Amino acid sequence: MTTPNQTRTPKTPALSLTGLCGGFDDPVQQSQQVFRRALTALSEPGTLQTLPAADAPTGIHPAAYQLCLALLDAETPLWIAPALKSEALVSALRFHCGCRIVDDPGRAEFALISPDIDGELTRFAQGSHEYPDRSTTLIVQVGSLEATADWTLSGPGIDGTRKVGITGLDPRWPGMLADNHRRFPCGVDILFTAGSVLMGLPRTTRVEI
Amino acid sequence: MTTAFPDQTTDTPADATGYNFAYLDEQTKRMIRRCLLKAVAVPGYQVPFGGREMPLPYGWGTGGMQVTATVIGSDDVLKVIDQGADDTTNAVSIRRFFARTAGVATTESTPQASVIQTRHRIPETPLSRGQILVYQVPIPEPLRFIEPRETETRKMHALQEYGVMHVKLYEDIARFGHIATTYAYPVKVNGHYVMDPSPIPKFDNPKMHGCPALQLFGAGREKRIYAIPPFTRVESLDFEDHPFEVQGWDQTCEFCGSDHSFLDEVVIDDYGGRIFICSDTDYCNQRLDADARKEAV
Repeated sequence: MTTPNQTRTPKTPALSLTGLCGGFDDPVQQSQQVFRRALTALSEPGTLQTLPAADAPTGIHPAAYQLCLALLDAETPLWIAPALKSEALVSALRFHCGCRIVDDPGRAEFALISPDIDGELTRFAQGSHEYPDRSTTLIVQVGSLEATADWTLSGPGIDGTRKVGITGLDPRWPGMLADNHRRFPCGVDILFTAGSVLMGLPRTTRVEI
Repeated sequence: MTTAFPDQTTDTPADATGYNFAYLDEQTKRMIRRCLLKAVAVPGYQVPFGGREMPLPYGWGTGGMQVTATVIGSDDVLKVIDQGADDTTNAVSIRRFFARTAGVATTESTPQASVIQTRHRIPETPLSRGQILVYQVPIPEPLRFIEPRETETRKMHALQEYGVMHVKLYEDIARFGHIATTYAYPVKVNGHYVMDPSPIPKFDNPKMHGCPALQLFGAGREKRIYAIPPFTRVESLDFEDHPFEVQGWDQTCEFCGSDHSFLDEVVIDDYGGRIFICSDTDYCNQRLDADARKEAV
């Protein structure tokens, strides 16, 4: 004899709170502080913004995790690169942000990726000429943002030019970023993270090597 | 039990307003924050946002206040100006609002402020890196009086179809012999979007170009946010044979004697008597203080 509740299997795995990665201690103040650094990062591309040290799920940079906590909620579909998509991360984001995790990067408002993504940046939402704001914001985890400065950035937010050095990007990236810049006003905006450090690269920034 | 009442009130926050930090709820702030990040990434483009009802009427700076409430933190120092003045009703009310709901420090000094909310002026004292200037915007769409349909103006921006704006300026020249637009003078941001700089006098337009501070614009009734990142190209529209010019005055400020700031004309009696004074009260006071110090030495 079977009882009714034994026959039914839940569609989504139950959320387990054991081992769940913590969120902000003070969500109001910490969200504001993280946002202001993200705002400065995107309005002054190439500058390094340091976020406070914090716990993050395994494989996720504290800066990337804090950006998610500060900016994501039930209104923002998130796409996570398969390499980064762990049970710990998905549980933490579902619990703290309540965001939907989507399978199609073209529908994501935010995407959490590592530089070795398959395909081009055009996989993500580009926005339209009428609504360029409807594009994905990429959070890209790189090796380091404080390497030898071999890229020259120019554009809005930069007084003349600014030198930056990013490690962990494969040789496709300069070309992909140049294409992204050319698509203006469409295109994606990028927040690079390395540990607790953050650097912004909006679509308006021109990258030269 | 009369003793229960004081106990219940002790756990209210120190500012005792009962509102979330800086009035807006966190979900609204996140939504506006995401819009601000997109606004900064596409300079001059008007990002639609879910504007909330604020505890004051449209036209009193609800858009600017929502932007300020979203960016401001407890360590910020806020300055609010209304047509350059720190001591007018709108400025005093908004400054007090954030002092109460966010507990932030406020100032009248431009160099000391980290966030400056402004209605229709850019301070005379040059802004510096790290400062944020928040504009209150009544009508964010520069093409609105030419083309009332949102669907059309959106297409015009997408196609950079701005000829009609030059026609409007040309009509001024045909009628008056010069460009007669003196405020809300249209600008082109980073060589792409034509943008309404809010009703600042065209005297202030050159200050937007290459400004080291971040400029954010909030329109509450129209529910639009736009931005100019620091060090961005901002050109006022003009013609080769009618280049953009700012207004000037034959008079100097009655108080500080300034011959280079934006002057307001003030009628002082019933017999046509009038004086000219700096519209930027902080700038005027700074100059008076400097003079007083010089005399004391």
